[in-house]
Amino acid sequence: MACFERASPALKDILLKLYRAEKPMEIDHHLYEFGSVQYHIQSSASDPHHTYLSISTPLLSQGALLSDRLSHATIEMIKGVGSNAVDIVEPAKEGYHLTLRLNFSKIPRDKDSVQVITQISAVQAVIISSQLKEMLQNVNSQVTLHGMHKPIKLVYHPREPFFVIRQPQKIIAVFPMRFKENSDVIIATAFFQELMDVGSSQEWAKAPPCIWSPIPPPELRGETFEDLSTNGGFVSFDIYSRHVEGERLDKTVWSLLNFYAYVKSHVKCTRGFVQRRMRKRLESLVKVLQKVSSEEELEEEEEEEKFGKDKDVGCNYMRKLVSLSNSKILKRRHGVLSRKIKRIRFRIKIHGFGRFRRRWLRFPKFSSSMGYTKLD
Amino acid sequence: MANTLRLYLTCIRNTLEAAMCLQNFPCQEVERHNKPEVELKTSPELLLNPVLICRNEAEKCLIETSINSLRISLKVKQADELENILTKKFLRFLSMRAEAFQVLRRKPVQGYDISFLITNYHYEDMQKHKLIDFIVQFMEDIDKEISELKMSVNTRGRLVATEFLKQFI
Repeated sequence: MACFERASPALKDILLKLYRAEKPMEIDHHLYEFGSVQYHIQSSASDPHHTYLSISTPLLSQGALLSDRLSHATIEMIKGVGSNAVDIVEPAKEGYHLTLRLNFSKIPRDKDSVQVITQISAVQAVIISSQLKEMLQNVNSQVTLHGMHKPIKLVYHPREPFFVIRQPQKIIAVFPMRFKENSDVIIATAFFQELMDVGSSQEWAKAPPCIWSPIPPPELRGETFEDLSTNGGFVSFDIYSRHVEGERLDKTVWSLLNFYAYVKSHVKCTRGFVQRRMRKRLESLVKVLQKVSSEEELEEEEEEEKFGKDKDVGCNYMRKLVSLSNSKILKRRHGVLSRKIKRIRFRIKIHGFGRFRRRWLRFPKFSSSMGYTKLD
Repeated sequence: MANTLRLYLTCIRNTLEAAMCLQNFPCQEVERHNKPEVELKTSPELLLNPVLICRNEAEKCLIETSINSLRISLKVKQADELENILTKKFLRFLSMRAEAFQVLRRKPVQGYDISFLITNYHYEDMQKHKLIDFIVQFMEDIDKEISELKMSVNTRGRLVATEFLKQFI
């Protein structure tokens, strides 16, 4: 899923297009991505060597303090992205947290070029991961800090805060889970139980241990009622030093930051799966009933055919016995028809009208070429 | 377990065979109206005694008969919360599409998960033994489908959990 990738696919596409373009291109794109992330890419033909990339992203804020500026550590991490090809522009463009000036001519024209552009496209992930990385890098630090065991509340998305609690040998990340519907809570709870089962097995011993509980863990005692009232329980991950060594630090941080989105995506996909399955089952159940009805219709048709054949045989036999000429048959049919018409036309009986009709309302006879009429 | 299910379904089948004797009977109270008497229940002389067949506390079947209609209400087993929501979703899905089934009631009777209403018209259009076969088969299919759905949801959860934990390694 695109939202779980570190590098923005749309941004990567545009940067690759610019990098590979033979002539300088005029570009002014605004991109909006999942998680309230905005990008603005500008490139003009008058300045073909430079492309400007501005980024706006919700920053990881600590507790009630809303941060709208990038920390020094974050800026240092960004400087390490893209080697010489990336410069930070001060001040950033209005409405954005960061503006970068990209020089594609400094990107080597070999296999590594795509990797460099992918790193540049992942700048947003670098920004939001830097704060959590700083915390997780000091897992084994012997320095005692003021309020060492006090939970630190981090807010990436509004209404989805999570807590990080420092302990002597580990850091605990606690996610209070909230869902809008009861069915979502049940599907998510089934998922958390599977997560606990899989995490506690021998083959996944290297992964951080995961615990789900319906009640707040003891480390969160003292937090506000609003933060502790949930319907989906609390999921805790124990992060040890082995989970943040070397390249694993990036992956661990990114997984923790996207945990909420991951769970919600799974719940939504499960609901869609259940709906598709129900629809398929409905078709098969209805087919059974249609089959029952069609079997009865077939049986009825078979009966009709059976008796119908006998009727035909009987009629043919009768026809053979009674032989009639065609003219007689026509006359009989005409007689039947004319009697029917008379019955319809003369429904109302009036006494004496028949004699009146026969005398005064006769239809005139027309002469035909076949015969002759006697003249008086 | 399978034995008790067989016995339960056999009991329901035998009861339906005995109870399904329907004939056309116009409404006694309103002229030129023909209503299923089992729904109205205004004339006690037209109603038979309802039969309740219980497999256990959670599963039961209520068969109510009248002169021109028969109502069958089913309560499906729900072992845990996941089965509970899956059953509710699935049976509500079917009830909303009751016209496809003809004999299905849009709203189940209170206290039950799904209800069928068979009138004398259905009885004339369809064969009795085939109708009973359909009802019994429907009950088996519902149980089977809900078990499969639950297993699928748990399997999906396990796969997704495995993929999530892979990222840490």
